[in-house]
Amino acid sequence: MKKISSNPPLLPIRLFRWFCHPKLKESIEGDLMELYEERKVKSGKLKADVKFIVDVLFLFRPSIIKPTEGYQQLNTYGMFKNYFKISTRNIFKHKMISFINVFSLAVGLAACVVIYLFVSDEQSFDSFHSKNKNIYRLDEVQKFTGTNEQKVALSMPGMGPALKRDFPEVQSYVRFWQRGKQLITKDDTKHLIDNVMAVDSTFFDVFDFSLVHGDINTCLDRPQTILLTESTVLKFFKTASEALNNTVSWDGKDFQITGILKDVPENSHIQFEALLSMVTHTSGQNNVNDSWGANWMTTYLLLEPTADIKSMEEKFPAFMSRHMDDPQVNINYKLYLQRLDEVHLASNDIEHDYINYRKFNGSYLTIFYVIAAFILLIAAVNFMNLTTARASHRWKEIGVRKTIGAKKFQLFGQFIFESVMLAGFALVVALLLDVLFIPLINDLIGRNLAILPLFQNVWQIAAVLIGTLSLGIVTGIYPSFYMTSLNLSRVLKGGNKGEGKSVLRSTLVVIQFGLAIAMIVSTLLVVQQLSFMKESDIGFDKDQMMLVNMNNEANEKFETIKKELQNQSMIKGVTASGQRLGNNFHQWGFKVKADTGVLAITPSNVNVDYDYLNVYGIEVKEGRGFSKDNLTDNGFAFIINESFAKELRLKETIGTRAGHDWYHSDSLGTIIGVVKDFNFNSLHYKVNTLALVVHPDWGYSELSVKIEKGRTEEGIAAVKKVWDELVPSYPFDYTFLDAHFEEVYRSDQQMSAVVAIMTGLAILISCIGLFGLAAITIEKKTKEIGVRKVLGATESQIIFLLSRNFAILIIIAFVMVSPITYYALHRWLESFAYRIDINLLVFAGGGIVAFVIGILTISYHTFRSARANPVKALRYE
Amino acid sequence: MWLRGNYNYFVMKKYQLGEFEEVVMLTVGVLYKEAYGVSIKKEIETRLSRGVSVGALQTALKRLEEKGYLKSFDGEATEERAGRPKKYFQITALGKKAMEYSKSTRDELWSAIPKVALDLKFGV
Repeated sequence: MKKISSNPPLLPIRLFRWFCHPKLKESIEGDLMELYEERKVKSGKLKADVKFIVDVLFLFRPSIIKPTEGYQQLNTYGMFKNYFKISTRNIFKHKMISFINVFSLAVGLAACVVIYLFVSDEQSFDSFHSKNKNIYRLDEVQKFTGTNEQKVALSMPGMGPALKRDFPEVQSYVRFWQRGKQLITKDDTKHLIDNVMAVDSTFFDVFDFSLVHGDINTCLDRPQTILLTESTVLKFFKTASEALNNTVSWDGKDFQITGILKDVPENSHIQFEALLSMVTHTSGQNNVNDSWGANWMTTYLLLEPTADIKSMEEKFPAFMSRHMDDPQVNINYKLYLQRLDEVHLASNDIEHDYINYRKFNGSYLTIFYVIAAFILLIAAVNFMNLTTARASHRWKEIGVRKTIGAKKFQLFGQFIFESVMLAGFALVVALLLDVLFIPLINDLIGRNLAILPLFQNVWQIAAVLIGTLSLGIVTGIYPSFYMTSLNLSRVLKGGNKGEGKSVLRSTLVVIQFGLAIAMIVSTLLVVQQLSFMKESDIGFDKDQMMLVNMNNEANEKFETIKKELQNQSMIKGVTASGQRLGNNFHQWGFKVKADTGVLAITPSNVNVDYDYLNVYGIEVKEGRGFSKDNLTDNGFAFIINESFAKELRLKETIGTRAGHDWYHSDSLGTIIGVVKDFNFNSLHYKVNTLALVVHPDWGYSELSVKIEKGRTEEGIAAVKKVWDELVPSYPFDYTFLDAHFEEVYRSDQQMSAVVAIMTGLAILISCIGLFGLAAITIEKKTKEIGVRKVLGATESQIIFLLSRNFAILIIIAFVMVSPITYYALHRWLESFAYRIDINLLVFAGGGIVAFVIGILTISYHTFRSARANPVKALRYE
Repeated sequence: MWLRGNYNYFVMKKYQLGEFEEVVMLTVGVLYKEAYGVSIKKEIETRLSRGVSVGALQTALKRLEEKGYLKSFDGEATEERAGRPKKYFQITALGKKAMEYSKSTRDELWSAIPKVALDLKFGV
């Protein structure tokens, strides 16, 4: 072929070659070339080029363009179609087995989706801050004499500014002064606002909370300014724009609203309804910016991306010594930085953690992952067992395919295709199950999970699909391998490969039941521990205890309120305290004058009303309780707990001189009593040393009203009536102590609910798997059973015979799994200072439950075949 | 996909031939053994003095072939075609019937026109 001197433009040719139907390509291209050559000779290259392009463009029409699915089936489309057809036929031919396969995979996947939703909800916390990788919370490890070492989320007001000055790594800091629930008023409108806190003006430099109205740069710069969230603003004003630059009052002073915040997202550990400017507290006489010694703020630092946390932490002791003139300072305080993403999920050992909404124990997320893996494994085992146990049903097909020329690899692919198809099918069912059951699960675990967000993210959809695909492949590998490993001649003869007894199948059953037993035992134990925490004697009475928020006026009129309430028949007791039970109490210095000198100790302290011990049913072990009749009991009498007494190791505790550390050593009070240890903190923690004191002039934060059981509604109404009459300045606002304790153990409760649900599912999946497997294996023994019956075997002998193998497997599973479970549970229980002992009966119970359920499951088949007429059995085949 | 499979639709209409299709069929007949893309195009262009794009022609040829009115076979590859083979077309028996049908329907129509009508028309 002669080389053509100049060719038509390349791009149109390429385009044409690309879109043209391959059957037409050659001849049309030939036509185009011929025309081109001719035109070039006739009217020049340019015209020929243009005409060529026009021709190509006009060729772009439906009948010329190649079909998208390929004009010639060079792909394996037809093969897949065949696989699909055969698979579908198999699925519908063996409905029970297919149902078990799809259902168990679907339940497994559905459970995984729920767990994923739960975990991703937890992990989404604080992720909306754009600088979240560089934000750290300043925490302390405190070690004071006479008190347990503790991690706290509090810091001193002086620390933030000093760190910024001393460390170049610190870009910015922001301090939170949590004021809790506060009464905010606008003229006659009064509202209790839940979370009021003061923050530094750097708030928006560090965090990405959004401001709807106002100047983000200056809104926190001046004293007496306040930011309100949108929904809070609407409690006082009709519109947000009306509110901006208007004022509201708090604590008797006017605050200008310099900004309106968007409501705080649910997944923020910092929740607030109103923010006061910190400069309100740092300007004027009581400047707290250089306050050291007392920890009552929460400090967050924004560090340079390059900051080395370790080296910073190493410099903290020197930093502390620089700013605090106290030789003990580095023994008492060890500062450390906590990554922002750990605040929500890894703060369970941190106390005095007041700004931590929905704090969750992150290590439970690992447990959830493990459970998800268990469930999937159990479901996968069903598939593997049932498929391999029924391999003989497919041998003829395999034989024929092999004869026609299928390679091992292709057969393998076929079976993998089948399992992937089933997995895909299971995914659809799983999503339907989730849509149906997530509301129910939400009720059970007290969450607000939704499946929809799963589909709003391409990556998540991809992850779900890839997960399902790999599940299909992984579960398919062993059965496919098994099915294709057979020798052709044996397959065609319908040969046997020892199908009845498969070591691997037995192993899988052992794994399956092992996991189920482990989960049953764990559930039993977790529930036991939680009910132990709920019901164990924590040393005081938390039932029917109503807590009412108090302000100044309520404190002033406390005695009157108390008298009024005590007159009501359904009210069993009224008292008040400075802090609520269920958390650690504030700790401050305390001194005790012993024979050896003055001991300085830092116990937890609480300010209570005279009859606090009576109302809460706290037992006095030595000495006496507080009494109004004793004038010195106001501020100069202390009741300590046993732990404190033990720590002091005094010969005679009662009567020892003692006081808060600001009391002059010559004007101390007296220890008048020792109470039995009670768990004022959660049961995750050991009882700390505690001193109770009566200090009415400090004011109480909450009124405690003990209401008679069964008359709760009446009691609430009565308290409200009295309150509204006597305390017009403050709205009636109450909660119940047991509800507060629910909140304290929420993380544990949710974990136990999830574990319990998942255990139920694990048992369900294991059992339907066992049911299917029993059906198959017993069917294979039909002939044997017939012969045995003819020879005189009784029904019970046959039932025993059939059940024996499964029973042995369950027993092996139990024996293997028990020690591992014991160890794991032991580890979990160690996170509780107060815990149950692991009772081995729980293990026995779990084992027996699994055993009984397993045997009952297969009993349907064993009974049926044992009772069947042997004639039928022998005619089988 | 486009125009694949059975053409019951066309069969039902019995020997349906579009105007351009008929021209192509006739031209293929005129060229007899020399009917391929470029020659058909040129023949139509010269005889009917109208422009024919390669795309329109190829589409018509393909459709006619699918209807079974034309059959094709690959011919020689020549230099000016950069080594691409020519695709020659021939009228099939069915194609002949279709052409005849088409012609006869027109003839019928022609013969049915009253003379006056034509006279009048030309008269205007």
